[in-house]
Amino acid sequence: MNLNYSDEQNMLREQVLKFCETNYDFIDREKILESDIGFSKDNWQQFAELGWLAVPFKEENGGFNFGPVELTVLFEEFGKALVVEPYLSSVVMSGTIIENSNHKNKSSIIEKIISGEHQMSVAYAEPNIGYKFFDCYASTSVSNNILSLNGTKSLVLNAGNANQFIVLAKHEGLSALIMVDAEVDGLSIQSFKTIDGQTCGELTFENVLIDTDSIIASGDDAEAIFNKMMDLAILCISAEAVGAMNASYVKTVQYTKEREQFSQPISNFQVLQHRMVDMFIETELTKSLLIKATLQLDSNDPDAKSTISALKVQVGKAGRLIGQNAVQLHGGMGVSNEMSIGHYLKRFTAIDSMFGNTSHHINKYQAKQKE
Amino acid sequence: MDISFSEQDLQFQEEIRAGLNGAEYPAHVKEKQEKGINFSKEDVIDFHKFLSSKGWMGYNWPVEYGGTGWSPVQIYLFLNELALAQCPTILPFGVGMVGPVIYTFGTQEQKDRFLPDILNFDTWWCQGYSEPGSGSDLASLKTKAVLEGDHYVVNGSKTWTTLAQNADWIFCLVRTETTQKKQEGISFLLIDMNTPGIEVKPIITIDGDHEVNSVFFTDVKVPADQLIGEEGKGWTYAKFLLAHERFGIAGVPVVKVQIDRLKNLTAEYDDADLNKKIAELEIDLEALEFTELRTLAAIAEGGHPGAESSILKIRGTEIQQRLTELYVEAAGQYILPYEGPDGFESNRTPSGPEYASSSVAQYLNYRKTSIYGGSNEIQKNIIAKAILGV
Repeated sequence: MNLNYSDEQNMLREQVLKFCETNYDFIDREKILESDIGFSKDNWQQFAELGWLAVPFKEENGGFNFGPVELTVLFEEFGKALVVEPYLSSVVMSGTIIENSNHKNKSSIIEKIISGEHQMSVAYAEPNIGYKFFDCYASTSVSNNILSLNGTKSLVLNAGNANQFIVLAKHEGLSALIMVDAEVDGLSIQSFKTIDGQTCGELTFENVLIDTDSIIASGDDAEAIFNKMMDLAILCISAEAVGAMNASYVKTVQYTKEREQFSQPISNFQVLQHRMVDMFIETELTKSLLIKATLQLDSNDPDAKSTISALKVQVGKAGRLIGQNAVQLHGGMGVSNEMSIGHYLKRFTAIDSMFGNTSHHINKYQAKQKE
Repeated sequence: MDISFSEQDLQFQEEIRAGLNGAEYPAHVKEKQEKGINFSKEDVIDFHKFLSSKGWMGYNWPVEYGGTGWSPVQIYLFLNELALAQCPTILPFGVGMVGPVIYTFGTQEQKDRFLPDILNFDTWWCQGYSEPGSGSDLASLKTKAVLEGDHYVVNGSKTWTTLAQNADWIFCLVRTETTQKKQEGISFLLIDMNTPGIEVKPIITIDGDHEVNSVFFTDVKVPADQLIGEEGKGWTYAKFLLAHERFGIAGVPVVKVQIDRLKNLTAEYDDADLNKKIAELEIDLEALEFTELRTLAAIAEGGHPGAESSILKIRGTEIQQRLTELYVEAAGQYILPYEGPDGFESNRTPSGPEYASSSVAQYLNYRKTSIYGGSNEIQKNIIAKAILGV
């Protein structure tokens, strides 16, 4: 048993930390959020140059062949600085699907993701199916020997900037993953901001022509690849949450030491101390489940599924407790949009909602335990 | 990073498991384990004698003092196996507490005199720390020891003394001097419970059981060679004892077994709310278990996780208490008939599930867990100071 990060992993952490310290203070981030595209192209290019966009990909596809551990290291540091660049949707989600698919030109697509010139996103949600992503209504149909795609996909991350989408839809009655260019005729994209200042969009497909090569996985295969992607995505946003939890309690401790009321720093008050201890404890417990899930996923442990659900539940609950207490202990400043602390609460709220919220994963965990 | 235990460690685990299922293991204890029946004093003694016979009693001691010399991982696995088999708990007072203090700070004569009896479980030790006026503020203790020639004369009282009614010896923190700084006048004394002037009075707790006691000292003459280390250094030894890595404080494997049992008992209830609460408890337990493993991994590499282990105490006891609440909830109205330590008042057959009455006793008994061993509020103070720096 060894739960230490390797030198390489520590170096990666150090690198991301340094980058965020230099390029990602709260003011920098505000400017990025206010921009039209909602992320910084300069940052994205730097991510590429630093090799971060190559982290999870196999060597044969030009990647570093790193595993879940390295991804969680990246995301923990992203979480501390509330990084908004579309790493999750493009590299983790789309990348995982492409790499595991039978796409003919996957190497060249991955190469373009790694170089930073190409962004992708996965379109999995729909207006009325909740978290039952495989019960989707978007589907292909054939008329006059022509295959076309119709339907609506919701909440597609970074939709306005993606060059290509991977759409989860029904094809011949089975789940399929279909590549669609953003520019294609019949696809309309409506972009909007999320509660935490990021961007996503609604995609409407009206008789969008599909060639069979763009169906990169179908049936059980498609669902297996999709589920694999989902597990990794949950792991990454959980790592991001752990980073955000860490920053939240550290910033809160700092603030209470500086803020004086009744002629003393408010950190002297035991009621506040114990709340901050609760924040610390929940951060550590979440980190524990994160490491457990990471290592299980890394070793294809059959228990990984249930641990991932346990982790998502813990992230949801702890995020709420830590986010709310951080705001509370900052007093009026906590509810000011000009302080970073409230933005962590927004991110926790967004993270809980994604890929199955707390309630959803408690149910899933129970079902797994019964198996 | 690697989550798995080594081949040798897994083999070690097998050996422990085989030992607990072996022919030497006391059959009457095993039967009670499997049925979940409370252990008698004799059961507890026989269990400890079994550990001695296997050479496992000094599970946390170095070889030179007759211990096993096991690694932190082995100690963890050993305690885990005992808990999973639902064995009686190893009494911590001798082997876990006073033993390490004696072999670290005691004289050669004291080591020769006391350590073998601890390893053979020939003496039952109890702990004399808390006093009526000194709980969380332990250093304010007032029990006085005055040196007169070759012995101390002890006057005062100790309270919440666990199983003092069974104990042969007690290790006590006593005040040998009234100093400016209250920690400095404290000494560490070993006292034979048969010494004249000692009186043990039971305290009955809200579950109706007799587990803890008041111990009164009136002009008790204690030979001076039963002082550990230096006079006035008792607080240092007491802190060493508290910091002495106490594995298993989180109680993870015991809770695991009890959750499985609860799930079996309530499987047919089809109570969605109860099932959800059980699942949430299991998730919290998983997080705690891996936190314990992180602590273990740090210790195994020679680290001293200090204040982080307060997390294990706080969350471990919270989870234990929630588990007892769920048993009570599951049993519903059938918890009402009072079953004392000696059974029901009239010899009637109780209605409802079999676990109903014991679940309340357990629920009430477990309120102690967030109070003892440094209350959870004190643990939070420790984290606030040591880790958050406030």
